[in-house]
Amino acid sequence: MTALLRAELLKLRTTRTFIALTGVAVGTSLLICVLVSVLSEPTQESVLTDVFTSDTSALFIVILAIVGITGEWRHRTITSSLLAAPDRLRFLAAKTLAFAAAGLVLSLLISIAVAIVGMVILSARDLPTPELGELVGQILRNAEVAALLGALGLALGTLVRNQPVAIVGVLVLAFVIEPTLLALAPDVGRFAPFSALSASIQQIPASDVGAEDANLLSPGLAVLVMLAYIGSAFAVGAVLLRRRDLN
Amino acid sequence: MAAVTTAAIEIQDLSKRFGKVQAVKDLSFSVQAGRVTGFLGPNGAGKSTTLRTLLGLIRPNGGTATFGGARYEQLPHPSAHVGAVLEEASFHPGRSGRNHLRVLAAAGSHPESRVGEVLEQVDLAGAADRRVKGYSMGMRQRLAIAAALLGDPDVLILDEPANGLDPPGIRWMRDLLRAEAARGRAVLVSSHLLSEVAQSVDDVVVISHGVLRGSGPLASVLGGGDGPVTRVRAADADGLARLLRERSYFVEADPSGALLVQGAAPEVVGEVAAEHRVALAELVAVSRSLEDAFFELTEAAG
Repeated sequence: MTALLRAELLKLRTTRTFIALTGVAVGTSLLICVLVSVLSEPTQESVLTDVFTSDTSALFIVILAIVGITGEWRHRTITSSLLAAPDRLRFLAAKTLAFAAAGLVLSLLISIAVAIVGMVILSARDLPTPELGELVGQILRNAEVAALLGALGLALGTLVRNQPVAIVGVLVLAFVIEPTLLALAPDVGRFAPFSALSASIQQIPASDVGAEDANLLSPGLAVLVMLAYIGSAFAVGAVLLRRRDLN
Repeated sequence: MAAVTTAAIEIQDLSKRFGKVQAVKDLSFSVQAGRVTGFLGPNGAGKSTTLRTLLGLIRPNGGTATFGGARYEQLPHPSAHVGAVLEEASFHPGRSGRNHLRVLAAAGSHPESRVGEVLEQVDLAGAADRRVKGYSMGMRQRLAIAAALLGDPDVLILDEPANGLDPPGIRWMRDLLRAEAARGRAVLVSSHLLSEVAQSVDDVVVISHGVLRGSGPLASVLGGGDGPVTRVRAADADGLARLLRERSYFVEADPSGALLVQGAAPEVVGEVAAEHRVALAELVAVSRSLEDAFFELTEAAG
């Protein structure tokens, strides 16, 4: 499994898509952080989630994970991948772990950069700043969400082999369906993975994700629901992959 | 007691159906170490399906396909035992040739030093750091062969490896196959063109419509095994045919009335005719090319 994990991480690092999307994630995260730090006046209570959740890596790792698994079909590299790793379940598990690990590391690096930039600007403006312990906790929660969404993106990508359809589908789910659900049926919407569950885990107030009426799940329960989503999508994807003839 | 040798590849009663199409039916053959075996048949004969089933990429409906008794997915270290080049070898276009091999080396737990070695072996070291999307068909094929050689495997499987290669490339590939077999490896190479592989194979397996048409040493399957063929026209054709059949030669008449004698050279037929004072109007050796035999085999049963 270690060898497969290493191979998947190497695959991820050796494409321009990864470098480009990572660059965009770093750029947008720092831009949001700078704009919020410069233009708003957060209070001691709100500063942690107003400024230090600017890390956008979770969104980009979802896209990278979908590209990573659907690209195997698109470029027909799935054949050489499965010749090297004929146990399809292990192959899928290694890929899932690789994108979870990539999400974790990417988010940690970006969140640390955001923390440094945010602290410098807030201090310069004599605005309240969080305690170091609070800041570290927030960085870890951001990374936890990125790791979970990396795994979820990979598992969802196993269900839809068509790359554009999979990416557009997830974006529509995250930016159209979930907000609509949160607004119209908050009791259902609070189980939405990309907005409500992520906010629960990051401990972002419901109002910040447009879910004023939703009673968000506790962070622990949100993690369990997210793991259930990942497990379900992974199980269905694994069954499909094991049954599929590669001709 | 005779020594029992285990075939490097053993296909036994293999069958695969895609919907209403019977791609492979009750196919059985084996491939021995140290020999190049040509897997021949026209397009759509079931060659790729057989090879992909052997490599665990397609699930058979019946039968087995094994390496030394184990299915591909049961091998403890598959890419160190079997190297494969499949038709339409595909690569991520944005990744360099070297990085493609590095990924496969990592997945197969092969030392990274093998990447440079196989790149040298396929003469691709100079282009190794270029992105694959800039490679020609021939370069992609060489990269695929490099990938197959990464694990220094005992068995090499190549599906239509000459596709996309120019004449020097085809010659290089033939030399490679012979060299690998000389090192004791079992080499199974598929082709729909007999001429591509006739010069480099020891054995052949011929299939058509998913069914085995013949297997064994090249000469015995596609000519040579039946011996020479002679065409003879005689005044007393029936009498000469009877005399030859008494000597156990297979004789048949063609539509023009000439006799085709299998297994007898013209000198032998001439001697029989002279001995019995049968006047001859024509006596020639018939050349039956490998291609003729191949077409006869593959077109015989539809």
